[in-house]
Amino acid sequence: MGRVHFYLKERIEDVKRRVLYESYEAMKLPPWERVAITWVVLFTFWLLVAGWGDAVHLLIAAAVTLLIAVIMRDMLTEDIRGRGHLLVKSLHIFLFVVPQYLFIMAFRLIESNLRVVRNVILLDITPGIVKIEADLYSDTGLTILANSITLTPGTLTLDVEKKLGKAYLYVHWINVETLDGERAGRIIKGDLEEWLKKIFW
Amino acid sequence: MIEFVLLAFGLFIMLFGALGLVRFPDVYTRLHATSKCDTGGAMSILLALAVSVNAPLLIRLKFVLLAFLIALINPMLSHAIARGAYKRGIKPKVVVDMYGGGNP
Repeated sequence: MGRVHFYLKERIEDVKRRVLYESYEAMKLPPWERVAITWVVLFTFWLLVAGWGDAVHLLIAAAVTLLIAVIMRDMLTEDIRGRGHLLVKSLHIFLFVVPQYLFIMAFRLIESNLRVVRNVILLDITPGIVKIEADLYSDTGLTILANSITLTPGTLTLDVEKKLGKAYLYVHWINVETLDGERAGRIIKGDLEEWLKKIFW
Repeated sequence: MIEFVLLAFGLFIMLFGALGLVRFPDVYTRLHATSKCDTGGAMSILLALAVSVNAPLLIRLKFVLLAFLIALINPMLSHAIARGAYKRGIKPKVVVDMYGGGNP
């Protein structure tokens, strides 16, 4: 690659970003799948909060939640990308990915609680704020990643910044082990990002 | 049996979370103590209630739903408090601060 003019380089970057955006747009779920996912979530929430009633009650609940799901179908499912059949995909997610995630997060939470107990007793802290790069870009994925980082031992997310097609997280770390961005990212994020990348983009 | 273990664990964790709120030096490290310990302690107490309460299944599921909502909301609130404190100008006592740009 020889010398490339600056405006040409800018143009190439622009086209690359456009291709990435279009490919993600093409992987979007069709509308009826979005309606179905939103309807199932809303109906489960209704059943949990209101309780099981008679048939008329359930029928009204189904109708109202279906109406809300048709109107608000883009709100929950905007950031879910992927191909394949809906039932197979959702069964795979709810039978394998989500229980694995919950199991690992429960043990991480217990470990972080015990580490806070040790820090409170010994006060052996060297706090610092480091900047790591996240491999996800969608809003929902970044939110879940930041919340998981807050619940894993010794770290607390301060801010999320999106710049030039990349997302950065500012993390308050209670025992700074390294200042290098990549090594810090590997230590802080661990395997969480791999699981999140199976669902979000 | 398991509800006593969960209750004792929750009380222990909540006690040390409150102690950390007093002992840690600045806002951000105190937020470490409150966010993690309150999430873990409240979740384990709620799960103990869900196991041990003498009620139909729906009430127990509501306790599980409360635990899930706490796990969802608590880190978000601590993140909002930490960011608001930083934007307000409260300096953290740290060895490296990449958020403000450079070392203190």
